[in-house]
Amino acid sequence: MIQTETRTRYAIAALAGLAILAAPHGARAAEAWGIEHEREVKLTGKVVDLLCALRIGSDPKAADAKDCPPDCGGGRRQLGLLTGAGKLHPAVKANADFAGATVDLAPYCGRTVEVDGLLIANPAATLLMVQALRTDPKAAFVKADRFLADWARQNGKAEEWFRADPKVKAAIAADGVFGIRGLEPKP
Amino acid sequence: MAKDGRRKIGWGARPAKAFAGLALVAGLAAAGLAGAGTGPAEAAAGRRVQVTGEVVDTWCAVTGIMFAYGTAHHQCAVWCAIGGIPVSIKDAAGNFYLVLRIEEDETNVATPRLVTIQSHEVTVDGELVERDGVKYLLVTKVADDKGVINLTHEEYGVQPFGN
Repeated sequence: MIQTETRTRYAIAALAGLAILAAPHGARAAEAWGIEHEREVKLTGKVVDLLCALRIGSDPKAADAKDCPPDCGGGRRQLGLLTGAGKLHPAVKANADFAGATVDLAPYCGRTVEVDGLLIANPAATLLMVQALRTDPKAAFVKADRFLADWARQNGKAEEWFRADPKVKAAIAADGVFGIRGLEPKP
Repeated sequence: MAKDGRRKIGWGARPAKAFAGLALVAGLAAAGLAGAGTGPAEAAAGRRVQVTGEVVDTWCAVTGIMFAYGTAHHQCAVWCAIGGIPVSIKDAAGNFYLVLRIEEDETNVATPRLVTIQSHEVTVDGELVERDGVKYLLVTKVADDKGVINLTHEEYGVQPFGN
């Protein structure tokens, strides 16, 4: 299965490369995932700490360190995009396997960015997947996969960060793949 | 299907670049004005709630890109929580509550407390704030934790990738 996925990923990469070469500078378009309620979007807005935006709103005087830590928590807090229309969208997913978007957005805390990605307008929850972003409308989009480089800097190279991560290994070692100690998959 | 369950791929440029460029400039200007003036919109008022449900990975569960519940999806839920994807609680009615605070922890990305209760059935007390189609939950107390009780692995194996 992994080999098939690897081939698929190479094919996707090749197609993506062709698309990028064919596209005008900076004109990246979102990659559809075929998710129900999905919409390919380019959204412009301010990067905000979700909890801060919800609790404090726009009054900086009302902000305290607990709700609105400096620099949107420096990568330790969930972030969102506040659009010019006043919509707050939680940025829950980056363009890296099993990774959130905080690492990509945190450097732009309080700044305006343009996000290229997917808006999942599920009635149960509206979520934003950040596939790429830019701060300058004349610049090219940058793929939102900073998580992988950050992880590699801290942990070294690995084909699949999620299997090599020490915190993941500790959690699975403690409670097993199924989350119940002693319950193991059948061989 | 790719590693985290992508079904369909559709890279490529889109037409109407000139209009898109104009829209971008207008959008950046509007957002900049919003940032300088009205800021992060209005503050939302919360209300006290008690929620019972399964702790889930928000992305997999809401999007349905794979089977995302119980024992079958526990490993993936751990990956996603440690990868920084928000954690939610899904109640029996199908409501998702995106957790932005867990007890006294001031961080909410890859929070160890949330990782340790992935896939658990919990009852929590907290504050609910709803905005723009999302229910955000600030958990003040995990009142009950039954552990992982949704035994889905017999039917679904290990999601994704299998055993």
